[in-house]
Amino acid sequence: MIQPDQIQRPKLILVVDDQEMNRDILGVILGDDYELIYAENGEEALAQMRTHAERLSLVLLDLVMPVMSGFEVMEAARNDPQLRHIPVIVLTAEKSAELEALQMGAADFITKPLDVTEVVLARVGRIIELSEGRQLISAAEYDRLTLLYTRSFFFEYASRLFHFYPETRRDAVVVNIEQFHSINALSGREFGDKVLRLIGDELRSFLSETDGIASRFEADRFDVYCAQQPDYHVLLNRLQESVNRLLPGVSIHLRMGVMPWREGVEPVALFDRAQAACSMLRGDYQNPLMIYDEKMYEKELLNQRLLNDLRPAVDERQFRVFYQPKYDIRCDPPRLSSAEALIRWNHPELGMISPGSFIPLFEGNGLIGVVDAFVWEEAARQIAAWRDKYGFLLPVSVNLSRSDVFDPTLTDRLVKLIETNGLDFKSFKLEVTESAYTDNARELLEVIHNLRERGFEIEMDDFGSGYSSLNMLSDMPIDVLKMDMKFIRNIETSETDRRLVSLILDIAAYLDVSVVAEGVETEGQLAFLREGRCDLVQGYYFSRPLPPEEFEKLIEREIAIERSKTT
Amino acid sequence: MTLQELYQEIGGDYEQALRVLRMDKLLDKHIRKFTKNGVVEAMLDAGASMDPTAMFETSHALKGVSSNLGLTGIADAATVITEDFRPGSERKLSDAEIQAKLREVGELYRTTSEAIRRYEEA
Repeated sequence: MIQPDQIQRPKLILVVDDQEMNRDILGVILGDDYELIYAENGEEALAQMRTHAERLSLVLLDLVMPVMSGFEVMEAARNDPQLRHIPVIVLTAEKSAELEALQMGAADFITKPLDVTEVVLARVGRIIELSEGRQLISAAEYDRLTLLYTRSFFFEYASRLFHFYPETRRDAVVVNIEQFHSINALSGREFGDKVLRLIGDELRSFLSETDGIASRFEADRFDVYCAQQPDYHVLLNRLQESVNRLLPGVSIHLRMGVMPWREGVEPVALFDRAQAACSMLRGDYQNPLMIYDEKMYEKELLNQRLLNDLRPAVDERQFRVFYQPKYDIRCDPPRLSSAEALIRWNHPELGMISPGSFIPLFEGNGLIGVVDAFVWEEAARQIAAWRDKYGFLLPVSVNLSRSDVFDPTLTDRLVKLIETNGLDFKSFKLEVTESAYTDNARELLEVIHNLRERGFEIEMDDFGSGYSSLNMLSDMPIDVLKMDMKFIRNIETSETDRRLVSLILDIAAYLDVSVVAEGVETEGQLAFLREGRCDLVQGYYFSRPLPPEEFEKLIEREIAIERSKTT
Repeated sequence: MTLQELYQEIGGDYEQALRVLRMDKLLDKHIRKFTKNGVVEAMLDAGASMDPTAMFETSHALKGVSSNLGLTGIADAATVITEDFRPGSERKLSDAEIQAKLREVGELYRTTSEAIRRYEEA
């Protein structure tokens, strides 16, 4: 590995002394270890410091000199932002000058005559090291682009404010730029940096009037920990107006999430919630500001609890699989044709939890696979149990989530389930949601092909809920199309929905795939679908999802009807 | 004449000078320059007007140079004058005493310069 000293230039020291002899002496002492430049008086010294400000590691400064004294040099350097970081060691023969020099900002002093080489070298080396360390800390403390605190220093300071001044109520504010990567891509990185700098400037200006600190947390995220504001729209508008002025024609949208002060809650936790609020606004150009409230907090707690409880719930069999029948409406009366396996969670403390509360949560956290695997195993076992009990296979469909689709072991796992339970592939149907196609069409198509080759039947779930395209229908080798329930809900009242349903049914007939209508609740809806030659229907009109023991009554009723026909 | 012989002759501290300047070569360079750099003359000139600022600056410069060179007699006299004219501190010596010190420096400088000249010619 390349060592740091291999990629560093020799450190540069400016020796300032009106006496050539002293300059020579320091040249001899330091010349082997450092690069040296010289000045004979204060004026020359300042000129050299300005020329080499970026590189200078140290100034060795005599105090009593013609033209401009060492004290005047220190005074000028202290007032010059470009020079004030350069450490100065004063060369003096006078004890009395040492204190004054240190008070003026000298880092150290070396007494003349310079008769002990080791002392000079040691002091020079130590001061350079200290100064470099301080500069490193300073570089880590501030974001170079915006001059706001960096993330780690910001949270350290926020934590100190929180602990040192517990009586002050400070809120956490997160500001994000909508689609910042697109701004960079379209207008260039330089322009993107300009936007970030502008927000940094505006935040610093805001904080010059308000108690607080700010940070560029990362990329386009800014965190502000400030005294409670009566209306955060004011700050948001101020920031938005400053970026609006930057370049007419370039549209930049900011969004802001705020977590108000809460007793005892540390800044890190406040900012997590402010960020959560800010994330919820992603893509919402109408509402750029969200204040994290009690409801969101409770939802967050519930979500966290559900996430924690998932695995124990599987182990303790708190989950149950319910079955909702699908009826073939081409027959009269309609016949029980198959079922959809649906998860239910009976939490020991929270009671029955709606799948709408936990399925999207687990999908978002990649844990849905655990739930799906449970449903698949239960459904396969149940199909086998009903076969053994009633002597025929009642097909059951299960859901494949997006993350399941991209699991490389998916096909093997499903095949193993079929084989272990001695099932027919056609009895274990797989429902894939339409939106999986828009996410990653090519991979999805490959997975679907593999599954169909093994003999599984694929149902496209929620057709029409997203941005369905006819192209997808021609690409995707599906066996059944499940129409989204939102079409069915309004077919009795909306001519448009009626036409759309008719159109979907026609397309499905043309493509020779069966159609299942979900969410059928009324006689009128059923009549319309039957007239339109829909194949299967699922919904409360026939039955809500039922636990297996209740579902068996439907099977038994069906068997009884069949028997009555034959007798 | 060697450097050591020169120092013996002028009553200087050769060891001290070599400790500060590290090598004979540098000591040789600066002892030769001592008679040409004008630091003594500048102080003696300041003594004519007794301008306090000039007295301090010139005696301070001479004190530094002569201390480095181990010219202890001149350095001691220059130190006394420097401290007497240090800005911010009250003078302790009379003008007559300062003039006596200046004469002492002048005399020491004359003998030292002659010895250096002989050293240069040797």
